[in-house]
Amino acid sequence: MPQFKRGPIPAKTGIGLRFPHHQAVADTRPEIAWLEAHTENYMGGGTSLRYLEAIRRDYPISLHGVGLSLGSAGGLDAGHLERVRRTIERLEPGLVSEHLSWSVVGGTYLADLLPLPMTEEALDVVCRHVEQVQAFLKRRILVENPSTYLQFQHSTIPEWEFLAKVAERTGCGILCDVNNIYVSACNHGWDASAYIAALPPAAVGEIHLAGHAVKKLDGGHALRIDDHGSRVAPEVWALYAEALARFGPVPTLIEWDTDVPPLEVLLEEAARAAAVLEKTEREHAYADAA
Amino acid sequence: MNTHTPTLLELQRALCRSVVGHNDAEAGLYIIANGIDPAARLGIYRNTFASVLVNALRLSYPAVHRLVAAECFEGAARFFMEEQPPQCANLDDYGAGFPEFLARFPPVAALIYLPDVARLEWAVSRALHAQDAEPLDIARLAALTEDEQARVRFAPHPSAGLVRADHPADSIWHAVLAQDDAALAAIDPAAGPVWLLVHRAETGVEVSPLSERAWYFTAALFAGRTLHEALDEAQCAEAQAVLAEHLAAGRFTGFSLAAPAIS
Repeated sequence: MPQFKRGPIPAKTGIGLRFPHHQAVADTRPEIAWLEAHTENYMGGGTSLRYLEAIRRDYPISLHGVGLSLGSAGGLDAGHLERVRRTIERLEPGLVSEHLSWSVVGGTYLADLLPLPMTEEALDVVCRHVEQVQAFLKRRILVENPSTYLQFQHSTIPEWEFLAKVAERTGCGILCDVNNIYVSACNHGWDASAYIAALPPAAVGEIHLAGHAVKKLDGGHALRIDDHGSRVAPEVWALYAEALARFGPVPTLIEWDTDVPPLEVLLEEAARAAAVLEKTEREHAYADAA
Repeated sequence: MNTHTPTLLELQRALCRSVVGHNDAEAGLYIIANGIDPAARLGIYRNTFASVLVNALRLSYPAVHRLVAAECFEGAARFFMEEQPPQCANLDDYGAGFPEFLARFPPVAALIYLPDVARLEWAVSRALHAQDAEPLDIARLAALTEDEQARVRFAPHPSAGLVRADHPADSIWHAVLAQDDAALAAIDPAAGPVWLLVHRAETGVEVSPLSERAWYFTAALFAGRTLHEALDEAQCAEAQAVLAEHLAAGRFTGFSLAAPAIS
């Protein structure tokens, strides 16, 4: 049986841990460097938590949240923040991340990562909330760029600049979701390579890779939808290599949430990412030696 | 062309009206079309909202889902989420009001037992997701004097809950989830009421029928009455045996002592 240990998240590939794979991961202890779980799925007790507590004895764990709503104009939900704190205390993750988005207004949770207007007001709100979260949790968090399907008329700041400013002002890290960059770039006509080139390499603490879908709309138009329901697209693999060339070796996660396939499929995708990562590591080693 | 620049709060309220209330009138003004109708763009978020919540309700109410069939369940869920959208990002907590919603949802009115089955499923779902807690060490109780024991107020396990149903919700629930059509056909929906205790044991969530008196005695204890008060109120002849079983099954996690009565 392979030996792994808990602790910080290494610059290697991990997979998103989902309920259908609890048993398989616990039983077979697959060869994977780390696992990421959704914070909101482990806030209660019972069977799910017991699986994760057993699994985390052998693997470093990262906690990825979807519910803090960093961009809510009305402020953070103190109750939810406390639930996040307790979950972190119990599971001792190596990394904690959230999204550059919002999902709560007037006490209603919209169950999705909604886009923010890219304005100075929204930038102030997000920075204030990231600072509050980091102070409350007493740790640095990573903030992930979302996939978006619309842009607002009154936005004034490009998303990549907005994200870089949040990192600069708050000291938080960036979770660079390469698939989301590709999806949003296709949906809005952005240059995905320029987006990656605009992010500060030192702030990037993790990369996400996932599959997406293409939704045909009336009038011959289409939008790419970040459904995490298939293998990583070829264009996203190419963009991933660009991202690593710029950021250096970064912990990389394969995510799959819709029509979750057998664990082996995720491990295949992770192995493919590992090959790109190892190539980057060798190139960085040569560059350092030269 | 829109000339008003919304504040972040105005924008978020407008998007909420679009996603939850299907009203794109204001939100649509703030969005760049770029070749695609803003309503279609907003529709992507509305679809995610609906599908995530239908799925969350399906996970909490699997027997209701089977009893009414998928299409009807989704229809009910969509009306429900518009009326009572989630207030918390922990979706395990979503759907407390669904049983009462079903009780006044005309398309399922013929299934008179459906709200009872839903109430039981909500208690089961609560039990599944409840926090872990160490059971009460019985030795601590045994160390009390008789007078102190009468003044004990028990703390129920976070997973413990009680359901009273006019219809045999437990038999229907078991048969539906086991897909046992013969057992389901043999149930008389008018038989009842049933008095149920729901609790998460080591092996999973258990639903146990109690006698009416034992149920009231347990309800008094769960509500924080002292042992003396609960015995007095419930007039339950089997109270000692019921209490012993609750203790052995780990349905309490601790206790406090009420102040002695002034004589």
